[in-house]
Amino acid sequence: MSKFVREMSRRAIVQALIALPALSLFRSQQPVVDPDEIVEINGWILRRSDLA
Amino acid sequence: MIFDSYEAYKQVGFKPKVCILGSGPAGTTIARKLGSAGIPVVVLEAGSREFSDESQDFYRGKTVGDFYFDLDITRLRFIGGSSNHWAGWCRVLDKQDFEPKAWAPDTGWPISRADIEPYLGEVRDILELPAFRPDVPVSDDIRWVQLIKSPAVRFGEKFADELDKSKNIAVVLNTYATELTGDGKRVTGAKLWSNGQDAGSFSADYFVTCTGGLENSRLLLWSNERSNGGVVPNAAALGRYWMEHPTFEGGNAILANYTEFEADDSNEAFFSPTLAAMERLQIMNFGIRLIESPYPNVKKLIADLACTAPNMAEWMSSQLDQKLRCAAQLYVAWEQAPLASNQIELSKADVDHAGVPRIELHWKKSPLERRTLLEGLKLFGTTMAQKNLGRVRIDDWISNGGDYPTNEETAGHHHMGGTRMGTDVLKSVVDANCKVHGMDNLYIGGSSVFCTSGQCNPTTTITALACRLGEHLGKVIAV
Repeated sequence: MSKFVREMSRRAIVQALIALPALSLFRSQQPVVDPDEIVEINGWILRRSDLA
Repeated sequence: MIFDSYEAYKQVGFKPKVCILGSGPAGTTIARKLGSAGIPVVVLEAGSREFSDESQDFYRGKTVGDFYFDLDITRLRFIGGSSNHWAGWCRVLDKQDFEPKAWAPDTGWPISRADIEPYLGEVRDILELPAFRPDVPVSDDIRWVQLIKSPAVRFGEKFADELDKSKNIAVVLNTYATELTGDGKRVTGAKLWSNGQDAGSFSADYFVTCTGGLENSRLLLWSNERSNGGVVPNAAALGRYWMEHPTFEGGNAILANYTEFEADDSNEAFFSPTLAAMERLQIMNFGIRLIESPYPNVKKLIADLACTAPNMAEWMSSQLDQKLRCAAQLYVAWEQAPLASNQIELSKADVDHAGVPRIELHWKKSPLERRTLLEGLKLFGTTMAQKNLGRVRIDDWISNGGDYPTNEETAGHHHMGGTRMGTDVLKSVVDANCKVHGMDNLYIGGSSVFCTSGQCNPTTTITALACRLGEHLGKVIAV
């Protein structure tokens, strides 16, 4: 176990774990879905923008 | 001159240079070309002036393989031939239909579209057609093509007076050749059957068989068997590479604006692939017929769409409120890959009243065609969506690889191949001038000489080829 971890309190570790999901807010956005992409669903040949 | 029997014909002492078997679009057109060039021609027509069950019975046969029409209902045996039940749809084979395709063996003609274009003016006069218009590109993959709905010329009706008054053309009804005789270089004669009985032998300098896309093969197979190969000396391809235009309902479409494509009087518009798309997908040619749907079908289509693409269904519903006509059925007809195994054989068990073996037709659609059907519909649907012209739904049996339905159109009653044109004697029967390989005086007219079928109805191309053959034969005889 590293010195850094040994010196952290149990409370600090728990707080860090709780904060992890919030990091996704700082990630770049998901790849943009092309609304003109052609998709085949149930026999239909559609644009992705046709789908709700 | 028109005679109702061979007996009556014999009494006038007419001396024909050319004998044409069959009075359908090919036979009548070639006879008119030769007659107008001053060459005496006799046309032997197996049937009479009208339909009869007795005459049709000679056309009975058997099909082995895929479901197909009864062979005695898919063609007609009286003056004018199968033009008597022709729907009148006209289009000439595409330029690309004449070219070989690396992905489809045994494609390509020894002539090009340019070789028949000089005759299209005559064809328009014969078939009473307006000017042909060029195809309109919808995308890099799909063309909006013209298919003219003509008045459906019945060759017997239209040309009966002209033929009757002609001094150079004699049409002999109720009379046909049960077999040709030959010595491997020339046809030496024909054995005739007239009004239900043997009518003896007949000879002429030249023979042209125009008995149809099934019967040409039957006549020549039987003649060759009886003459020990003396009629078609290079017979490896005789009867083979037979083709149809399989035709099935392929799905539905919702269109942004039905008037976009100037549908014809029947509310139909037609689409085909570009050569580049065929090459990229390695598929055959095809034609998509878009037909306006009746209103109940529209509602059903929207209900189905609502589960899949609510945004599109919502738009569609709003269009309907404005009472726009915007749904269509899709029918697909496609080019068959030429296969030697699709062939006409002589029955070993069944003969007609004159003792000639009936046809046994071996016909099966290939995996390449199945792919053409599916990929063709996808290609069309993709273009419609990309261009925002509409949306397409492909029928489940096609998407899921189900069996071909047996309760639909099935095919176009277009009988092509069997005596195909080519330079390789192992894979063709006639040369570029429709002359049988190795024979000096035997020619073939009609769609049996087609190397490939393209996607369009064959009568326009048959008539153009007949004009070309008539002109060629006239020059040969004049020398």
